[in-house]
Amino acid sequence: MATKSKKNGIISTFFNKGSMDIPFLLVLMTIVTVGLIMLFSASYTYSYYNRGSSTQIFTRQLFWVGVGLLLMYIISRVRYEYFRAVAVIGVVVSIGLLLLVLVLPEYKPGFKRWIDLGFTTFQPSEIAKIGLILILALLLERQYKIVVGKVPSEMVVCRRIEEMTNGRLVIYKSFTTTILYGVIILTFAGLVFLENHVSGTVLMLALGIVMLFLGEVNNKWFIIAGIGIAIVGVLLIANPDILKEYAGERIVAWLDKDYEPLGARWQTNNSLYAIGSGGFLGTGLGQSKQKHLYVSEPQNDFIFSIVCEELGFVGAAVIILLFAYLVYRGIKIGLRAKDRFSALLAMGIVFQVGVQVALNIAVVSDFIPNTGISLPFFSAGGTSVVILLCEMGMVLSISRSARKKE
Amino acid sequence: MNKKPTKKMEFRSQFAFVFFCLFLVALIGNLFWLQIINGEKYRLEAEKNQLSDTVINANRGTIYDSNMKVLAQSASAWLVYINPSKISTEEQKKLLVDGFVEIFELDRETVEKKVNRKESGYEKIIGQIDNAKKDELRKYLSDHSDEKLGLIVGIDPDTKRYYPLGSFASTVLGFTGSEDTGRAGLELKYNDILTGEAGRIITAKNALAGEMPNDYETTYDAEQGKGLVLTVDEVIQYYLEQQLSQAIEETQAKYAYGIVMDVKTGAILGMSTMPDYDLNSPYKISSNTVIEEIEKIEDSAEKSKAQNNALFSQWRNRVVSDSYEPGSVFKLFVAAAGLEEGAITTTSTYNCTSSIKVANYYQHCYNRKAHGTQTVAEALPNSCNTYFITLGQKLGKETFSKYFEAFGFTEKTGVDLPSEATPVANKTYYTVDRMGIAELSSASFGQTFQATPIQMITAVASLGNGGKLMTPYIVDKVLDENGNIISETKPTVKRQVISEKTADTMCDLMEQVVVWGTAKNAYVAGYHVAGKTGTSEKLNTDDMCIASFAGFAPANDPQIAVLIAVDEPLYYATGGSGAAPVAGRIFENILAYLNIDPQYNDEELAQATTTAPNLVGEDASKVRSKASGFTVKIVGNGETVVSQMPSANQSMPKNGIIVVYTEENAEKQTVTVPNLTGLTLTEANRLAVNAGFNIKIAGTTQGAGQVLSYKQSIPANTSAETGAIITVYFRSSENITD
Repeated sequence: MATKSKKNGIISTFFNKGSMDIPFLLVLMTIVTVGLIMLFSASYTYSYYNRGSSTQIFTRQLFWVGVGLLLMYIISRVRYEYFRAVAVIGVVVSIGLLLLVLVLPEYKPGFKRWIDLGFTTFQPSEIAKIGLILILALLLERQYKIVVGKVPSEMVVCRRIEEMTNGRLVIYKSFTTTILYGVIILTFAGLVFLENHVSGTVLMLALGIVMLFLGEVNNKWFIIAGIGIAIVGVLLIANPDILKEYAGERIVAWLDKDYEPLGARWQTNNSLYAIGSGGFLGTGLGQSKQKHLYVSEPQNDFIFSIVCEELGFVGAAVIILLFAYLVYRGIKIGLRAKDRFSALLAMGIVFQVGVQVALNIAVVSDFIPNTGISLPFFSAGGTSVVILLCEMGMVLSISRSARKKE
Repeated sequence: MNKKPTKKMEFRSQFAFVFFCLFLVALIGNLFWLQIINGEKYRLEAEKNQLSDTVINANRGTIYDSNMKVLAQSASAWLVYINPSKISTEEQKKLLVDGFVEIFELDRETVEKKVNRKESGYEKIIGQIDNAKKDELRKYLSDHSDEKLGLIVGIDPDTKRYYPLGSFASTVLGFTGSEDTGRAGLELKYNDILTGEAGRIITAKNALAGEMPNDYETTYDAEQGKGLVLTVDEVIQYYLEQQLSQAIEETQAKYAYGIVMDVKTGAILGMSTMPDYDLNSPYKISSNTVIEEIEKIEDSAEKSKAQNNALFSQWRNRVVSDSYEPGSVFKLFVAAAGLEEGAITTTSTYNCTSSIKVANYYQHCYNRKAHGTQTVAEALPNSCNTYFITLGQKLGKETFSKYFEAFGFTEKTGVDLPSEATPVANKTYYTVDRMGIAELSSASFGQTFQATPIQMITAVASLGNGGKLMTPYIVDKVLDENGNIISETKPTVKRQVISEKTADTMCDLMEQVVVWGTAKNAYVAGYHVAGKTGTSEKLNTDDMCIASFAGFAPANDPQIAVLIAVDEPLYYATGGSGAAPVAGRIFENILAYLNIDPQYNDEELAQATTTAPNLVGEDASKVRSKASGFTVKIVGNGETVVSQMPSANQSMPKNGIIVVYTEENAEKQTVTVPNLTGLTLTEANRLAVNAGFNIKIAGTTQGAGQVLSYKQSIPANTSAETGAIITVYFRSSENITD
């Protein structure tokens, strides 16, 4: 526990005076800066055409990044213990918002992802991601012993089963709690799926699995989950019609590279043309041709294809490595944390960023079927970047309370 | 609580990170594959994508006649098609049908049929739509973008070449084929100039709705196609085509050709090959008899071959691409050479005994007629073969060949039209070293060699142009897209063939041919028409001939030259009966159109026309004195004249009849038109006046004996208003063979 200073009283109980993890901060700031530059380059044509000014998207983003950095600094100063309290509130707020967005009128016809606040829109799933990480981190800390231990469940149903099988089938508490976690994760994922948001669902499931894995849930669960995912994956690829029309078509479009070049594959093909046009060193900053409305929404999900075109293979690889280092540094912070909650929280947050980056780049380069997922710190989006920077603030706060090396 | 992370958590986090990194390595590997290994392929695809979307088509230039009347015009247009196999929902179907019906005003049933062709990948909805309609469709598609109609509907650039006058000057203008390239005629000859060059925009255009803002465009402007102003005059061309069609009707000929040329410049004022075809649907065979013949063919390969041949045949500009034996018209050049070389004078004589022995054969005059002792001024109107055989022999083959070449019969005229037939030595004509006495003799009256109609008229025009042979041309000016003149054709003198004096003599001689010779049916009262007829046997078709006339007017100051050739006529199968009347009617129309004042001789003056005086508003009692010289018939009891027939300023005979009406709404007096054909001038006039009609004389009324009417503008036994003017056509049937 941090030492309390009588001089500062209440403030010091709230205030974290430890020093931040500088490498993490540096790599984060590098990513944010590069992200902003690339956003400007990628967005100005689209912005001019769709918003009437070539800098409209960029200045908006710049404003939100400023807000985000301020919030990041403030949060990094907050003692991470308080995040536990946030976790409880977070789960309620997340579920509430995810339900709310389903009943609100559709912002974009057919999709219930956005809540329109008038001055901006935001996706409840962005909040829900951190909400899920927080609640799982909290539970996995509290119930650590149960999760790893071998205590028979005291639930009536479980007792009954034990009796009926004459003690041959003992249901442990670790089993029932894992089922509980599964229910939580599936609730989050299910609500996002109802938004008609496949990528969000996948991300939510991936985050849940990563959290449980780090939280030391028994290996066999992951083997079962792995087999389950494999079966679902094969099923979907074999019968894309199972999914809703548009999602199914995207799988078809991924499998058949010649499918509807002017239709379902138009976006992906133009993304590939942009990536390929970049070559080894790229066409140079600002020199992309494909961003001139060939790549649809180049400031958004497909910004990485413009990055590839302008900065080339070298630039793209460097950016991927920057993100890898960010994740690495986040894990380091987590492992040096004082308790399981903050360790799981820090690692969960950086893995969230990592998984999102990996999925985004995989989509843009036609490595997996096309699905709408943004690139953290690069893609335009005010609420997204503010929430991400708040999460970074949490990681930094945790880094301030790191244990001294033993 | 508050337990620090365990070793197991550390291991698991490292495991997860390695797993994550492996995925990133795979992604980087994929990028390496895309950017380094296949980068060039995608770069080319990207470029193709960007450029192919942004070609700006150049508009094909417009073709005008000499009065700037549009003969051929292009409009950039769009073509809309759908891919019915991509339609997946009923909602899409409904939206498509509704949209097409609403925007293009199409028949709902037809559109529904196309939309329902599920197995089809391409159904054209409508072509040649303008930009406004295209934008309307684009908007409709983006309004319904959720239904992904954009995946089904395609819009391609389309251009349409319009020929506002249909078949007008069709063999001269030609038409365009796919991709807007000229396939025949001027469209082919001037294709490069008319086409222009397509431009490009290097930046993208919005894939969703419209154009990019200018800031991001790098534009390579399209070079618009250039316009052509022809020397062809719409009015003259119209008269020519009208008369050629009529000639085919009268003579039942296979084809009729005609050229009208400006004598002084070589500019082509009119050119036609009949029958023609509709330029707006050039692939439709225009002749019904040809279609019937083709329908009879059973073998499908033969049939399509016949169809192809028929099409190429109807597109052929025979005036330039085909050659024929010019026959007696060529005697003009032998006469000109004889006069120029001093081999004959206008007074030197020769005695024709109807035949002459050349080598081992006897050559005869037409119908074996003996013309007796005659000068060139009689031999030419008589078209005496023996005279010209003797003259040709007197000139000798060297001199003959010199003039043959000088008049342009061994080379192309160089007219700016495609596929001009090329004279080939010893194939289409004999060179000096291959020419024997027989060949020389036959050539002297226009046989044993071939010439194109364009060669003939160019050479004939040189006789009226002071002996200067011109290079014929049909494009007068080239215009840029704004109508500014880029280049203008200057008349080119090829060479002085004969002296001006000889040329003037030829004009006088040629006028005599029309006044009393074989070409008398080309006579036009008031105008000094000069010319020569010819009737040449076709070598490859038994008993068939080409009847032709070539000449110019006025003889004392030649302005326009006309060549008429009637190919394989069944009736009136001589130049004097089949071609000369056609030329006469054309001269009459054109000279009046060109405002060339007629100069009547006394006899003509007697028949000359005047214009009707204006009697409307006059006091009924004073009408007769006001219209002295005319027969005036007053209808009604009113005090002033309210209308008259013929109306004021209409051309009518000096002693004609005028009917005046003095009451409003009075019933027009009508009479049955008498048959005015087969009569002499006096008979026709008397009959017409007695019936209450005015008569207008057309054609020749000259010469002794058989000048009879053969045609009237208002058919006999129909009812017509009293006082109406009936044009009656006269022609001579005597001494018009050859």
